[in-house]
Amino acid sequence: MPTFTYDGTTIPFEPGETIIKAAWRQGIEIPHYCWHPGLSAPANCRMCLVEIAPAPGQRAMMLDVLEWDPALNDYRPRQKPKLQPACQMQAAEGMQVRGDTSENVREARKGVQEFLLLNHPVDCPICDQSGECKLQDYWLEHGQYQKRMRDEPIHKPKAVRFGPSIVYDAERCVMCTRCIRFMDEVAQDPVLDMRERGNLNEVFVAPGRELTGHYTFMTEHVCPVGALTTVDFRFKARVWFLRTAKSVCQGCATGCNAHLDYDPRYNKVYRYRPRDNEQVNQYWMCDEGMVSYKRAHTDRVLDPRVKGATATVKKALEAAKSQLEGVPGEGVAVVLSAQHSLEDNWALRELAGTFLGTRSFYATGLGEGYADTILIHADKNPNTRGVLELVPSLRSFGQLIDDIEAGKITHVIALGGETPVADSRTEAALDRLAGLVVIAAHDGPLARAAHVILPATSWAESSGTYVNAKGLHQVAEKAIEPQGAAAPGWQLVAELGQALGYDAQWTKLKQVRARMIQVPTVPESFTVRPSSQATP
Amino acid sequence: MATATFPKKPPSPNNAYVVEHVEPTPATQVYLPEIFKGLGVAMKHFFRNTKEMVRGERPDPVTESISQGITTISYPEQKRPYPERFRGLHRLTQRDDGSPRCVACLCCSTACPAQCIFIEAGEYPEGDARRGYERYPVKFVIDELRCIFCGYCVEACPCDAIRMDTGMHAVPYDSREQFIYRKDLLLAASGRDGSHETANPRHEPGDESHPGVTRHHMTH
Repeated sequence: MPTFTYDGTTIPFEPGETIIKAAWRQGIEIPHYCWHPGLSAPANCRMCLVEIAPAPGQRAMMLDVLEWDPALNDYRPRQKPKLQPACQMQAAEGMQVRGDTSENVREARKGVQEFLLLNHPVDCPICDQSGECKLQDYWLEHGQYQKRMRDEPIHKPKAVRFGPSIVYDAERCVMCTRCIRFMDEVAQDPVLDMRERGNLNEVFVAPGRELTGHYTFMTEHVCPVGALTTVDFRFKARVWFLRTAKSVCQGCATGCNAHLDYDPRYNKVYRYRPRDNEQVNQYWMCDEGMVSYKRAHTDRVLDPRVKGATATVKKALEAAKSQLEGVPGEGVAVVLSAQHSLEDNWALRELAGTFLGTRSFYATGLGEGYADTILIHADKNPNTRGVLELVPSLRSFGQLIDDIEAGKITHVIALGGETPVADSRTEAALDRLAGLVVIAAHDGPLARAAHVILPATSWAESSGTYVNAKGLHQVAEKAIEPQGAAAPGWQLVAELGQALGYDAQWTKLKQVRARMIQVPTVPESFTVRPSSQATP
Repeated sequence: MATATFPKKPPSPNNAYVVEHVEPTPATQVYLPEIFKGLGVAMKHFFRNTKEMVRGERPDPVTESISQGITTISYPEQKRPYPERFRGLHRLTQRDDGSPRCVACLCCSTACPAQCIFIEAGEYPEGDARRGYERYPVKFVIDELRCIFCGYCVEACPCDAIRMDTGMHAVPYDSREQFIYRKDLLLAASGRDGSHETANPRHEPGDESHPGVTRHHMTH
């Protein structure tokens, strides 16, 4: 691999790669506003200027400048090397690039920073970007000067509604055009553009249009400053109070990598931010995914319930035991959920295999929905591939309804409350069951029809593995503490097994994962307790 | 036989010095001259203080510590004026329409080392000119018992919305609840000059100078 040096660090690059991208892959950040690894390089913010030593045998490009000489008390002509934007210069073998070590580059950065801040309002107290704003960061890094312009800054429109989800503030905008290029190149809907010139420059929406579509939130997330804000997050939180967990979006089978930002003081999730993963979502996420963080708090099952009445976990387990004990195995269906993590499903499969020897596994989850060619997958479940890996012969939920109506199935143990379809036929079929034990994080037809329901944690409250449509096993980290009486699904399965007289061979997530890796064909992680005296 | 170990004697401090021993002289041995010297000092103070008390003369309380004379004041009736930069109890400054200048940016509660400020931010109601542009504090609570009067909140406030220029020191109360200062109380407090605003002007939405004037060719 050819290499070049940046400030003395040797950086390998692939032919055709720009300096900034090669450095970024090495974890070296050359300051920039308009460059984004997933977008084209317009080189219009001039923040990434670097000094490049001339190629051997060539003269350096020089620039004639006048410099104030206090000794002469006059301007003095001087030559400076001409700087070049790192986001457009393709790296070449043996190139010597200087950034922080070059006085000229430091001066240029400071100049660019000052230029961008000339008319920038110091809106930080009412700006949602404060705390993660490139202008703030770079001012501390490369600026640290007092403002020299004594005039009133140019005023431009504020709080302009670009659409149902995005608010634009022209004053804060630094004209990096990232949002314009994102809509153009990634979302393939060139609805944004620029108008006016100089310090009246602003981004606007095509006449007669609004900023709508499935990728509007991304414009806010590529914005390096606070010009674009989402209605959803606007004024909701200050980012320096938020903590971040590496999570996986639960919106569809694509399984986009995301940061889940939550406030540990209130145990509340505030937003998703896309997390870079070249193999899955590159740098993007869709709108539906961005707002799906709300499912951590809405439609949740928070208490154990027996026949609709709130109960303790102990009581619920006793009820489950009385429902399931002595039922012949062929009448019991085990429903795995594509909404729940691999660990929960694995635990239920193990219990079912030991307890029932049953092979009647069915799948549940949400149904199909909108899909496109960019990110959004038609399957709205994060873990469909995962449950299919666990039980390849999985039958559909529709099949389960048919079997209940045919009278083959009388008892059901299910994970997850959601069903692909929620119609009267489903409800009637579920009402016919003699026993329905559900371990669910979210409400749904199954959870409503359940005779006994145990509250499981959602993806935000416990670590779990999800297998996306490409078959990648991705771990979503725990963010907030469990809400209500919720406990991890695999733990509830173990408790249910204990109530029925089976001891799980595992008590910790680590042990679950260690056993899960083997994915044995014969369930072996539950043992029958010698005395069949079950202790819930 | 077990030997008991005693802690080592600590080393003598570095700032210790030997007191000079004054040799007694005949003048000090007879006592009386020294007694009269001491009485003289006492009487000098007695007569000066009596004269000042009768004339009602009081030294300037600001410079009293470096001036001669009586330094006692009768506290609740007479109070020493606090210096100009004294950090007293907090107040929230008001805009012209009486609403708080605070935009609930939480900078003060973030900067507060005692964590005694609680703010619940909220959106202005529909129809307000500031809606969608600013937030306002629905609740603004300062626990004056926790406060250490360091002034960091005032330093941190980018809007000049919180100040400690009331000139009042913490008041003794008889329940903890009374030390919890809420928004209305903080807004009701005035500065030492009696004003509820500050000298720093504010641009309000709708002003000519306010950011966000709509262009005549704006369509949205």
